[in-house]
Amino acid sequence: MSETVSGDLCPARAGPVRSPQSLVAGLTLVALAALSLWLISDLDQGTLQSMGPALLPRWLAIAVGLCGLVLVGTSFTTDGDFLERWSLRGPVFVIGSILAFALTIRGYSFGAFALPGLGLLVAGPLGIILGGYATPEARLRELVILALSLTPFCMVLFGDLLNLPIPVFPQALTSLFPADWSQKAVLRACAALMTAGAIVIFLATRNRHPGPVDVADHSGRI
Amino acid sequence: MGDFFANLSLGFGVALSLQNLGLAFLGCLVGTLIGVLPGVGPIATIAMLLPITFGLDPTGALIMLAGIYYGAQYGGSTTAILVNIPGEATSVVTALDGHEMAKQGRAGVALGIAAIGSFFAGTVATLVIAALGAPLTGLALVFGPTEYFSLMVMGLVFAVVLARGSILKAIAMILVGVLLSTVGTDLETGEERMTFGLPFLSDGIDFAVLAMGIFGIAEIMRNLDHTEHRDVVRQAIGRLLPNRDDFRQSYKPVVRGTILGAILGILPGNGAVLGPFASYTLEKKLAKDPRRFGRGAIEGVAGPESANNAGAQTSFIPLLTLGIPPNAVMALMVGAMTIHGIIPGPQVMTKNPNLFWGMIASMWVGNLMLLVINLPMVGMWVRLLKVPYRLMFPAILMFCAIGIYSINSLPTDVMFIGLFGFVGYVLIKLGFEPAPMLLGFVLGKLMEENLRRALIISRGSLETFVNHPISAGLLAVAAILLVIALLPSIRKGRDEVFVED
Repeated sequence: MSETVSGDLCPARAGPVRSPQSLVAGLTLVALAALSLWLISDLDQGTLQSMGPALLPRWLAIAVGLCGLVLVGTSFTTDGDFLERWSLRGPVFVIGSILAFALTIRGYSFGAFALPGLGLLVAGPLGIILGGYATPEARLRELVILALSLTPFCMVLFGDLLNLPIPVFPQALTSLFPADWSQKAVLRACAALMTAGAIVIFLATRNRHPGPVDVADHSGRI
Repeated sequence: MGDFFANLSLGFGVALSLQNLGLAFLGCLVGTLIGVLPGVGPIATIAMLLPITFGLDPTGALIMLAGIYYGAQYGGSTTAILVNIPGEATSVVTALDGHEMAKQGRAGVALGIAAIGSFFAGTVATLVIAALGAPLTGLALVFGPTEYFSLMVMGLVFAVVLARGSILKAIAMILVGVLLSTVGTDLETGEERMTFGLPFLSDGIDFAVLAMGIFGIAEIMRNLDHTEHRDVVRQAIGRLLPNRDDFRQSYKPVVRGTILGAILGILPGNGAVLGPFASYTLEKKLAKDPRRFGRGAIEGVAGPESANNAGAQTSFIPLLTLGIPPNAVMALMVGAMTIHGIIPGPQVMTKNPNLFWGMIASMWVGNLMLLVINLPMVGMWVRLLKVPYRLMFPAILMFCAIGIYSINSLPTDVMFIGLFGFVGYVLIKLGFEPAPMLLGFVLGKLMEENLRRALIISRGSLETFVNHPISAGLLAVAAILLVIALLPSIRKGRDEVFVED
């Protein structure tokens, strides 16, 4: 988290735009305002005495749009910041990891497409490993160990100790355990197995030379 | 005066129960733990840990959340001093001289004076809250919808003035926040607004989802943009207790910082941020040799740290007495209270005196605990700083996902933190500050409600806001502030105050 290495190192000012950041920011606001105005276009504004549902959103959207227009205007008159360089790797993997978690935690059906509820047991490691690749410094071994140790920790903390309503493992899993085991017992057994797995991997691969890391680019960008 | 002591003793009775002591300790510990990790500020911490408090009784839950809040603030100072990464705006100033002290091998003294100053400030602020709580609550009871609306307008204007960067962008962010708060079913007419016909939007956007997305997730994406470089101090931490010389140099800054911070913290907007800056500027002006500042002056740590803590505590005052959150963290506390079925506002004090005074007393208890948690255990926190970010952020992601899922058991909520995370990332890239947006979002619903009521009472006449004297006064303050902030000469000074390094 060093100082921002932003795009403003390259002073190539092209065209009449003197502050690209303000221009894009302003246009974004205008677009947002237009979207809201369109969404509430069929709602009643009412009068001041009995405000309709659209009154406040409409005037807010107009105000947001005005701010956007002023920003667009200033981008031609005042010097300002350039747009920072964007990286896609971070957002893509982070959002991908969140989506993977959301889709597997309780099961999801969307038309013909259906996923069974897999619980934290699967969603956790999936989210951690996928999310871990958001940085080019990711190392699979570390992430697997992290996934196998953090997931059981969360299972025990949230599912067992705090009793939060979160699916912990796929229902099909209970059939693998003796019938008289309670849900909590299965949870603890799973957690213990995963932790053991983490320890085994840690010990087994400890002395191995750290394999070739994904060193395509250490600048954090793709 | 008798009331004052009776109330405080009631509060300490509640706060010193074994369960609440444990919760306060746990909150402070967890808060410090997460606050120390660079890249996770108090807002993200509270949003992430909100679900943990669900199973508790409301008093215990709020005590724990308050503990997380101070803990995270304290932890932020530790990081600022040892790694030179200010976790959030309030510890920016601490990093200036604190990190210099650390480089000179005086990290321990810097941490020590920060902790001691904060403890002193916390003690004074607790007393201020206890003393001001009752009269302000009385004032709140004469507030009608008109006054409330104007008060919130003033609060938002403060937030604009105190935000960093462009004022126009801050105004736009607040408006966007209020606009977002209107998504969902209109309470009066039952019509759906801006929901895209999606059923899970009909209740509006969930506050916790928005907060966790634009602070927690966006922060991760932004941190990933830069390669990590942590300047962890390699020198020994050194002794923790400041010596007599250090004390002599810093007791006055501590007192001044406390007073400044306590006053500025009460202001609506983001008062707690202003305190450290004001204190640093003041100490620099008063110092015999201002050149020492920025090179490891102990006053530059003692004053701002005290102001920071005093402000953090007194910012509870608007929330507890008027029911209006002055900043994003307090907005999260509103969320926590409503989840526990408590509507923040002047009624809390009369309806739940245990909760109100218990929470105030626990603030002092929490401050005492932080002293114990931070000083002897500093070695452990330093070790924590060595955890690389590439392992930390997947864990944070995981906690966020579990936390948000367990609030409503909705996978869509989890997806939305991803969406808002991306929105927050784009906003930061475009130079917008997300904090004013969150504040606008929280106050938006209250504002619309009060605006509606005020207009119904006045039969649709907007003059009502000027005819009521209190309301007119509040709006006048707001207008004057906005004009001052927009005046170019003063704006320049403001930019200087907020320059980061």
